[in-house]
Order: sequence, then C-alpha cells, then structure tokens
Amino acid sequence: MKSKGELQFDAVVIGGGIAGLQSALDLGDQGYKVAVVDKDATIGGKMIRLSKVFPTLDCASCITTPKMSSAAHHENITLFTYCSMDKLDRENPERVVVKLTQKPRYVDPDLCIGCRKCEYGCPVYVSDPEQGGFNMRKAVYIPFSNAIPQIALLDAENCSLCGKCARVCPTGAIDYFMKPEKFTIVAKTAILATGFELSPMDQKPQYGLGRLQNVVSSMQMERLLAPHGPYNRVLRPSDGKEPDSIAYVQCAGSRDKSLGIPYCSRVCCMYAIKQAMLLSGALPLADITIYYMDIRAFGKGYEQFYQNAKAMGIEFVKAKVAKITQGDEQTVKLRYEDQEGDGGVMEREHDLVILSLGIVPQWDPEGICNVSCGQDGFIQSSMPKIAPTVTDLEGVYTAGVAAGPKDIVDTITEAGAAAMEASNYLKGLGQAGQGQEETAEAEAGA
Amino acid sequence: MSDKKNKKMEAMVIKMLRQERADSIARARAAIKEQNSVIKAIKEVLKAGPKTIPEIAGAVAMETEPVLQYVSTLKRYGIVGEGPKDGDYFKYELLS
Repeated sequence: MKSKGELQFDAVVIGGGIAGLQSALDLGDQGYKVAVVDKDATIGGKMIRLSKVFPTLDCASCITTPKMSSAAHHENITLFTYCSMDKLDRENPERVVVKLTQKPRYVDPDLCIGCRKCEYGCPVYVSDPEQGGFNMRKAVYIPFSNAIPQIALLDAENCSLCGKCARVCPTGAIDYFMKPEKFTIVAKTAILATGFELSPMDQKPQYGLGRLQNVVSSMQMERLLAPHGPYNRVLRPSDGKEPDSIAYVQCAGSRDKSLGIPYCSRVCCMYAIKQAMLLSGALPLADITIYYMDIRAFGKGYEQFYQNAKAMGIEFVKAKVAKITQGDEQTVKLRYEDQEGDGGVMEREHDLVILSLGIVPQWDPEGICNVSCGQDGFIQSSMPKIAPTVTDLEGVYTAGVAAGPKDIVDTITEAGAAAMEASNYLKGLGQAGQGQEETAEAEAGA
Repeated sequence: MSDKKNKKMEAMVIKMLRQERADSIARARAAIKEQNSVIKAIKEVLKAGPKTIPEIAGAVAMETEPVLQYVSTLKRYGIVGEGPKDGDYFKYELLS
C-alpha cells in the first residue's frame, strides 16, 4: 500500500452517505477535485442500508448504488474509506487542513480483488451489525454485497491469526502487520455531511432497556425487510416464527425530555408507515398496528401515503405506549393509554414490536473542528432561513442530517445547495473548476 | 536472502504478532471451538431431514434465538437452505 502523506484537493467532503456523495458529485461535475472521507469501510451511509424509501417505495439501493458507483468512478473524486478524522482546521480562507488516520484493513486495497475467498475460508463467525446482529459474518469480510469499494477488511479483535485467509488469497493481499497511517488532506473548502445515528435501544427502562425478545429498532426492521436481509424474509428473531401481529411504537426516542431528545426526528412517522406498507405486502395476513402521538406527514405526497396505509388496513392507534414487557409465548406486551374510542389503560400483545427510535448526530466536532453546534448537537447553520448549509466557519458548509433531522428528499436538495455554496466560494477565491475556464472562453468568443 | 531464511524470518514475526495479540487470539479460538460444536450439532440434526428452528433447538438443547442466528448464518454461506413452510415456521435443510 502506498503512503499518502499530504494530498491537495479543491474540496473535501466529510461523510460518504447520500448527502456527501451528492455534494461530491455536484462539485466533481463542475470540474473541482474532491476528496470524500468516510469512517466506514464502504461509502453509501445509512441510505444504502435501507430497504425502500417513502413515499414512492423506490428501492433505496437502486437510487444509492448508481451514485456510489458514479462517485467511485468519477475522474475528479477520490474516496478515502475507513478513515477517522483527527482534526479539521480552517487555517486561512484558502486552506482547510484535515488530519486523518487510515484505519488498518489488514488487507492491501491495491491487491484485493474482492473475490471473498478469504471470507469463505475464515473459520470465525462474528455477529454482523450490518444485518442488525441477526446473523453472523466472518472475521475477514466485505461489509455487504454492494459495498464500494469491494475490498475486504479483517476484524483483528476477532481474528485467531490462523493464517487461512492469507493462504487462500489469490493475490497475497492479506497483511497482518498493517498499522494505522496518518495523512493530511489540504483543500480550499469543506462540506460536513456526517449524518446521524439512531438513539440507543437501551435508554428507556419502561421499554425494556433493549433486552426484550422481539423488540427491534427501526433500522433492524429495515434489514429484515431488505432483499439481502438476514433471513431473506420477515421472521420473529426469537424463534423464526412468521409474525402474525406487528406493532410500531412511535416517538420511542424523540419528543422525550427524559432522554434529552425533546425535538421531533421528522422521519419516524413516515418510515414506520413505509415499513408497515412493506410488511403488509410481505405478510398479507398479519395485523399491523402503529401506536402514535400524532402523525407528522409533512412532505409532498406524504399525507396521501398515510391515507393509503390506512386504506390498506394498517391500524393507527392514538396512544402513548407507557410500558413494554415480555408476554407469553415470546410475545411482547404493550401497555398504553388509549386516547380515542373508549379511552383508558389498555394492554395488547404482539409477535414483533418495532421502536421508532429518534435521530441523533453521528459526529461530535468537539476537539476536532471548531464549527458550532446547536443545543441538540447538530451542526448549527449561521443563516438557517436563507442559506441553511452555511456554518459559522467561513468556507465550511454542512449538508443532510448532520445539520438536523430531515428526510432523503431534503437531504439531497440540501447537498446540492452545499455544493453550490462551496463552488461559489471556490470561484470567489478565483478557483474555477477544470473545464469551466474553457467553457467561459468559448461562450465569450461566441 | 534465501527462501529458507525468508520463511524463518516470517515465522518469527508472526510468532511475535501472536504474542502481541494473545488475548484476542485466545478469545477467537474459544469462539471457533464453541461455534464448530454448535454447527456440527445443527448439521447432524438436519441430516435427518428439514426442520424448523424450534425443532432444531429442541434437538440440540439450545434456545431458539441463537439457533436462528446460526441457521441464518449457515444459509448466508450456502450450507443450509430454506425448505417448505410448516405452520408459522419455515423448515431448513442441509445443502452441503
């Protein structure tokens, strides 16, 4: 593997999810040299891990994979995956310095051909978070089938150093001695597209602290619904039963001051409705119930989507679930106050319960970058109404959920806006993208 | 340097790395041992014909949840396949 040292780009995008990729593609298409940095071993962010998207029910992978592939093959875009960011300093108006650590893959990316022979040969099984922990991967693995780059990595913590992967690798790519490598990216502008995490499952004692069988997170449900999911169908994780009765508990991690998340995460209502619709397609005989405080269907076509779900027979119960406990025969018991109908405290049992968890920032800039954050921890926009991607660091922009909860449509729109802000900034520095000067000259000549 | 010397040097360096990672290697070896014994037992049960997760769990005297995790993993790596449905459960069969 070649040493990187110090690398020069016009723009650096932190985060290779849908926001980061869209920004990078827009800048790359304008002729600017762009670096995309991702902490994961693959680009694609959360979106590539989803099954389908609302309100169109398009396959998430069908939208994300072409963008991932375009970025990977773009002549102006360079991907840096599996890197941690140690520092992002804006030294002067023309110099953003990003100090990074390339985490060791223990597989030479220049030699690996993604054949997975190492993965099939490896004798160690490890719980796979990419599949919600429902099944296992090997200690040496490629994150998932449409990961980009298709390069294996070795999980040293779970490796027995038996040497089998090195013996079966046809290109000699396994390198057990790889060390973390520091390198620096110097650019003129930066876009922070660091995305989000779901609020933790184990925060709320009333909801079983993440220890109840058959209570899963909304992201785990995405994996159960995905075509390449852990079971290739929806099954109850405790015993493989096809669930007859499935429930969603809304606002399980947002609008809750006791969790320190008082804000609405904006997408939970819609993703729960989307998943419920997909479930009613996958399991036509199952009863699906959504327990909600109020449905926030704010975007274009969202209200119609909600009405369609009701027409499909999905039951909406206006109630705040107070307590979740283990029921009989591996069911989950919900105790709630019914706010419609006869009212009062009710109890119902379901085979599978999904917590619609809230959205929290994935990255804390504290000690790494002196960009300001709001009280909620998301990156603060200095002009939220007229230029929401502008931060208080000149020449540093933000896009997507890094700046606050939002859906994919708004994320992509905002990513385009961040790219335009960055492009204008570069032009202000007298930096035209490759090909732009020639176009301008040709237009002036015409 | 001759091939023989190269190999000797390589073996020495690997030995040093094994010492450095002794704890994680011990954990991984213990995991392999346990996993191999569970997988062997599940495959043995499935040799008699397709079975549901509760049936496999009963036969190997394990909880159903880890058995489903093992079976879905074996399915992922092409060792087990999904068979016909039996009531609310699917049966799984040995492929290789």
